[in-house]
Amino acid sequence: MAEPALQPPREAASASAWPTGWALPLIESPATTEPTRRALRARLNAPAGLPVGALPAFFSPDAYETFAAACARLVPADGLAGPVDVAPAIDARLACGHGDGWRYATLPPDGDAFQTGVSLLDRAAEAAYAERFCDLAPDAQDELLADAQHARGAFGPDASGGFDACRWFADWLAEAAGLFYGHPLAQQDIGYAGFADAPGWTRIGLGERDAHEPDPLTDALL
Amino acid sequence: MTDQFDAIVVGTGAGGAPLLARLAAGGLHVLALEAGRAWNPAADFATDELEQDKLFWTDERISGGTNPLAFGANNSGIGVGGSTLHYTAYTPRPQPDDFGIRTEFGVGEDWPFGYAELEPYYDAAEAFMGVSGPTPYPWGPPRKHGYPLPPLPLNAAAQLMQRGAAEVGIRTSPAANAALSGRYFQPGVGWRAACTNRGFCQAGCSTGAKASMDVTYLPYAVAHGAEIRPECFVTEVTRDRAGRATGVVYAHTGADGRPAETRVSAPAVFLCAGSVETPRLLMLNNLGGDHVGRHLMAHPGLQIWGRFDTPTRPFKGIPGGLISEDTHRPADADFAGGYLLQSIGVMPVTYARQVARGRGLWGPSLRDHMRGYGYAAGIDLLGDCLPTDDNRIVLSDELDARGLPKPHVTFTASENEVRMSAHADRLMRQIWDAAGARDVWAFPRHAHVIGTARMGTDPDTSVVDPDGGVWGTPGLFVCDNSTFPSALPVNPALTIVAIALRTADRFLDRWKDR
Repeated sequence: MAEPALQPPREAASASAWPTGWALPLIESPATTEPTRRALRARLNAPAGLPVGALPAFFSPDAYETFAAACARLVPADGLAGPVDVAPAIDARLACGHGDGWRYATLPPDGDAFQTGVSLLDRAAEAAYAERFCDLAPDAQDELLADAQHARGAFGPDASGGFDACRWFADWLAEAAGLFYGHPLAQQDIGYAGFADAPGWTRIGLGERDAHEPDPLTDALL
Repeated sequence: MTDQFDAIVVGTGAGGAPLLARLAAGGLHVLALEAGRAWNPAADFATDELEQDKLFWTDERISGGTNPLAFGANNSGIGVGGSTLHYTAYTPRPQPDDFGIRTEFGVGEDWPFGYAELEPYYDAAEAFMGVSGPTPYPWGPPRKHGYPLPPLPLNAAAQLMQRGAAEVGIRTSPAANAALSGRYFQPGVGWRAACTNRGFCQAGCSTGAKASMDVTYLPYAVAHGAEIRPECFVTEVTRDRAGRATGVVYAHTGADGRPAETRVSAPAVFLCAGSVETPRLLMLNNLGGDHVGRHLMAHPGLQIWGRFDTPTRPFKGIPGGLISEDTHRPADADFAGGYLLQSIGVMPVTYARQVARGRGLWGPSLRDHMRGYGYAAGIDLLGDCLPTDDNRIVLSDELDARGLPKPHVTFTASENEVRMSAHADRLMRQIWDAAGARDVWAFPRHAHVIGTARMGTDPDTSVVDPDGGVWGTPGLFVCDNSTFPSALPVNPALTIVAIALRTADRFLDRWKDR
């Protein structure tokens, strides 16, 4: 099924040295092959967040709120030309039981690990602030996430009942980072134009730029 | 339904495909069974890593030990062509001393045959696949034949490594790579186009320039009458009362859309499913004896990354354009064996995942770091690994979606690999410092899973004989990197291909004498 063409997003201020607003026109240009364009359009056209009124496929609605809030701290979309939310894709993956081909022997199956990790986030928020994780201020959320990353506090081996929080967090972070930087709006933020694959690259050496690439040093757009 | 063949090949990667091709060319009626799909790269392959996750074997493996191995995007493929669909196509040859590491150092294991035996097969494989590389090659014995094509162009990472290594006094060379630096013709295959430096070798080549099996040995095999059945997962090796292999049973989707099982027969069955699925299949069928799954090896593959002042655009060109084998036997080594060094480019999703795992960055610090992606370049080692009894694959108690036990893999780097990685770490940091890298960081990893159905001359210490025949089960063979007695400090694909061609020749000799 053909994906509808993309509308250029509103431009947003970016801390990036790369020019903004070039990725979508480039995807729609002849410089990008059809299989690549198809994949990227599907990602860009996916709703940010769960569709209105839809329930999460894996998490309970409450757990999903916590999970989505935490994902937004791991890979914040600030300054991108549009929203990028990785939580729905991870929720959908966990629901269908599909993984990335391996897991640490110290962790239970992915679904169990995420249920445990997310419930620990809420339990830690409750213990420290008497609030749900998703209702905390960003700084407080970050503190609890750092506890999870380093298996401290509620995430320590004793408090968590032997849960390997370090590795669960590393798996989650790697998945979130991969999904985030698979999104063309995040790729635009880092000046990546590799999806413009039709002509190939001829200027591949240090500091070299092909004619159909954005230029990080000037604001010259395509 | 029963089909009768002369030989059945399970798996279509670097082991199965050349074997299938040579058996078919030898006049045999051969069938290959592949768990994954058949792709049309021009129409199906996007220059997009998430879309291309479909090339990875994602049935879950449980990974333990002190250095748990990553699978999926690392180490395993699915689809007609197997892992070669996403291999980087680095094709260095091992050096002759690599085959006799026990003789040289008193550790590890010697091969039952050496470099001289494989040399004509390396020549044949390089010529058939169209390897691009320097002639003469600076390391190892003189070659009878140069590479068929000149080297591919150097990308930024390669140029930086060239610069840094020169400062440190390490010789480098453009690497040998099985992607075409010019268009190339082979009978039975046709013309293949030159590489466009798209840089997505590890996510599938959409142009056919990379010598994955689906554009080289497999079309050749089909042109010689071989049949390939995709989406067929082999679950059983059938045997007669004497214990001789008689064929396989495979699971697939039937014509009515429901799960089905089909039995196919042949006097010879070759398992070429890779070093996890091959021993798993042997264990599921109680074949191959106590050594199946043992002696698992993985190449030390520590990566050193840095950020440079000038854009590198690290997604361009073959990732590993430059190589050094000056560290093949370092003079100051406190370890057995040696390693090679390669420059590395990287695709953005892979890089982001590595930054997440390797540096633990998230939030604004991840976003800031990733804005330097376009200025990043890496260098890594690929080193030999010693086999141990404890590094192994067993069947776990957990079942997968097919109802089969998941493989449980245990890997702990031994003292030798730890010392080798430390040696390489120091040297790579020197090279990157000399090249002008800032914010240098290390990403520890191991690549390639090797040696879980060891080849040897003694049934008491190995799983297969030097021709790949499984001890105790006539008619059953293994032909993939499961059989490697030692890891060899090179990317394994070229050697898997060479051994596959040799395995086919050894089998054809006996077939004629039948």
